[in-house]
Amino acid sequence: MKVLMVCSGGMSSAIVVKSLKQEAEKQGVDLDIKAVGTGEFEEEVKNDYDYALVAPQVKHRFKDYKASADAAGVPCELIPPRGYTPLGAPSLIKQIQAGVN
Amino acid sequence: MMEKFLNWLEEKFMPPMARLAEQRHLKAVRDGVISTLPLIIVGSFFIIIAQPPVEALQEMVAPYVGDIMIPFRMTVGLMSVYAAYGMGYSLARSYKLDGVSGGVLSLATFLMMNVPLNVDGVINEAVEAGIEGAAPMGWVLPMGNLGGAGMFTAILSMIVAVEIMRFMTVKNFTLTMPEQVPESVARSFEALFPATVVIVLAWIVRVMLNFDINELLMSIFSPLIEISGNNYFGVMLPVLLITLLWAAGIHGVSVIGSVMRPAWLIMLDANIEAVAEGGSMTFGEGGLPYIAPEPFYQWLVWVGGAGATLALAILFLFSKSVYLKQVGKFSIVPGIFNINEPMIFGAPIVMNPILAIPFILAPVVTTTISYFAVRVGFVSGFTVMAPWTLPAPIGAWMATGGSFAAVFLVLLNILVALAIYYPFFKVYEKKMIEEENEEVSNDSQTSKNTKTATA
Repeated sequence: MKVLMVCSGGMSSAIVVKSLKQEAEKQGVDLDIKAVGTGEFEEEVKNDYDYALVAPQVKHRFKDYKASADAAGVPCELIPPRGYTPLGAPSLIKQIQAGVN
Repeated sequence: MMEKFLNWLEEKFMPPMARLAEQRHLKAVRDGVISTLPLIIVGSFFIIIAQPPVEALQEMVAPYVGDIMIPFRMTVGLMSVYAAYGMGYSLARSYKLDGVSGGVLSLATFLMMNVPLNVDGVINEAVEAGIEGAAPMGWVLPMGNLGGAGMFTAILSMIVAVEIMRFMTVKNFTLTMPEQVPESVARSFEALFPATVVIVLAWIVRVMLNFDINELLMSIFSPLIEISGNNYFGVMLPVLLITLLWAAGIHGVSVIGSVMRPAWLIMLDANIEAVAEGGSMTFGEGGLPYIAPEPFYQWLVWVGGAGATLALAILFLFSKSVYLKQVGKFSIVPGIFNINEPMIFGAPIVMNPILAIPFILAPVVTTTISYFAVRVGFVSGFTVMAPWTLPAPIGAWMATGGSFAAVFLVLLNILVALAIYYPFFKVYEKKMIEEENEEVSNDSQTSKNTKTATA
């Protein structure tokens, strides 16, 4: 599954993405995930994603992201605060799996 | 008490601030200004070459300072030109209008607010007098209001231009092309009527009425910039707002920066300009005009990210709590590069009545120390925009044009933050260890129960 994650500058989401990739490999889950900053989201989400995740610290922009994701037909959800750390990877993988299906 | 306050922050304080920052025109300002940052970073670095931190080098480059600073003049010195385009693009896109047309229209309106000059009359006299290097140059555009000093004019021009464009599109005052015309051609004609209106309006205001909007805007905003750049409380305000927003869980710098970054850039431009004119690298008369452009916060206050959390990551590393130690381990490396979301959401600091206090308090204290250190000239002021993911001591050294006192101040601020975080860390650690012990005893309880059950 192809997942897009967005935060403010694309820096912190890159950290979470790295731990998600490790966790996915461990669990044997097929996961193609990319992190972008706010400015890139609208264009990037058009590229055949199955699911989009929004970092908790930019939840005030959720409506905008959701609108772009809706336009591209991609389901879009907020990451709960506790999920946005390397330790949150297992629960985030569950959220992704549930969201894609 | 603290919990009540945090709930108030989340429910009452944060939503209007976040809404404000997401307001369409402010968002356009944010996007436009952010689009200039790579140029500002590169352009500002040339001041280090023109004013190297070593005296012998300074003498060597002195004759070439004018040439060395040309990249600065074409980037930072023209920042409002770039911003006018970027902001117009973003605002037009937000209305689902053509971005490039919006950007170009906004830029043209901004440029119309500046009057080009022809000084060949004077130059011809110089030529006749036999002055070397004098040659007619046709029309020239003075650059004084194209850099930071023109930022507010650029913002106003962008709003007027794109709003007129939108109004005319909505009301169908545009040229509609027959269907056979390719879309890109049709689009260029769509902007024709709005362009006519915008340019004529700008021409009447600036040239016919000779109304200098830039002067008016600067006379309104200069006092505000003076306060947010040099007044203790003005410098402190963004620190409070940013940490309060983060404590409620949203990206404080991204929200407050939308509003403040134009002012911060104006300050940075003025600081670099002062040095380029031969001023000293410290704040004050004959030196830098502003204490607190953005690098001030970035390098002296947000050491390890908003809330000066590098100190907390260090404390966590040595924690006896298994969980906090884990958080420390995954937070320390990003923290060195000023990325602290793993820490903010991992500890967590968000809505945490214990850790939110030092998260706000530590930056308040380090801002106070740093403010006075820059004010009295103990450290050099800020003239360079360095990428924010550099480790703070390196970033501070670059951003001050090579001041070792600034590096010392960063280290001092880390120690101060350590001392402020420590007692709160201890209270929180105790709570976490208690919870961990409970979990362990619960676990052994359950395993005992399962054992008896299987037996």
